[in-house]
Amino acid sequence: MTIEYVDVDENLRRISLSGRLDIQGTEAISGKFTALSSTAKKQVIVDLTAVSFLASMGIRELISNAKALQRRGGKMVLFVGDNALVAKILETTNINELLPMFTDAAEAEKAALA
Amino acid sequence: MTNGATSLSAGLCAELSIEADSAEIRRASIWIAKTGMDFGVPMEQLGRLDICLNEVLANVIEHGGEEAISSPIGLEFLVSRLDPSNLEAAITVSDSGLAFDPLSFEQKPRTHSLEEAEPGGLGLTMMQEFVDSLSYRYRDGQNRLTFCVRWLNP
Repeated sequence: MTIEYVDVDENLRRISLSGRLDIQGTEAISGKFTALSSTAKKQVIVDLTAVSFLASMGIRELISNAKALQRRGGKMVLFVGDNALVAKILETTNINELLPMFTDAAEAEKAALA
Repeated sequence: MTNGATSLSAGLCAELSIEADSAEIRRASIWIAKTGMDFGVPMEQLGRLDICLNEVLANVIEHGGEEAISSPIGLEFLVSRLDPSNLEAAITVSDSGLAFDPLSFEQKPRTHSLEEAEPGGLGLTMMQEFVDSLSYRYRDGQNRLTFCVRWLNP
């Protein structure tokens, strides 16, 4: 499991995850993900296009950090691209209604900054 | 730890025993993928089994109590033909933890706002949504949960 980030501008950060977001994978990135999503940037796009597996533990990680970001006045959106498996898991668990989910990168960016 | 595969006249069967430790979940996933491919299970169905297996094992390790984590967890993988045009892959997970029937779990009403979202329950939702059937029994101090996926024979 790897985690990388790019600061798109002064308000927007894109965090990219890759690999299996199962228990082991979630534990591996948890601390860094929390740190990266709780900085001064108010908007965060989480890029899940390279996530090959998403367990409930990984979803909880997304939710808890999105809630913390929202409490600070920020917003988290998810970018899944053409990752059908991850999109299906997020839709099945209704997470796409809590965290806006996009298949298009430009739309994700626009929504994050809206 | 055991790992064996047997060809049966009624289908294909393999078994694995893992320690009740989160690091072992990934080993179980790798075993499911390899065994499933050997048995000819399509990738989509293997993915669904993997999702359910991860949630079942995580549940046992997190909530099964002392007995669950001090005893091995048994996995059985069975592929069988239901009729000339339908095949089924079934995984049975056996553990010595606290009795818990996931079929008795009622899904929480869906939350529509992030503020109200609470952790927990997602794994059981995923188990129920991603497989075609679930069955449970508790006997001789063991939970036995079986989940199945089905597909059309090409």
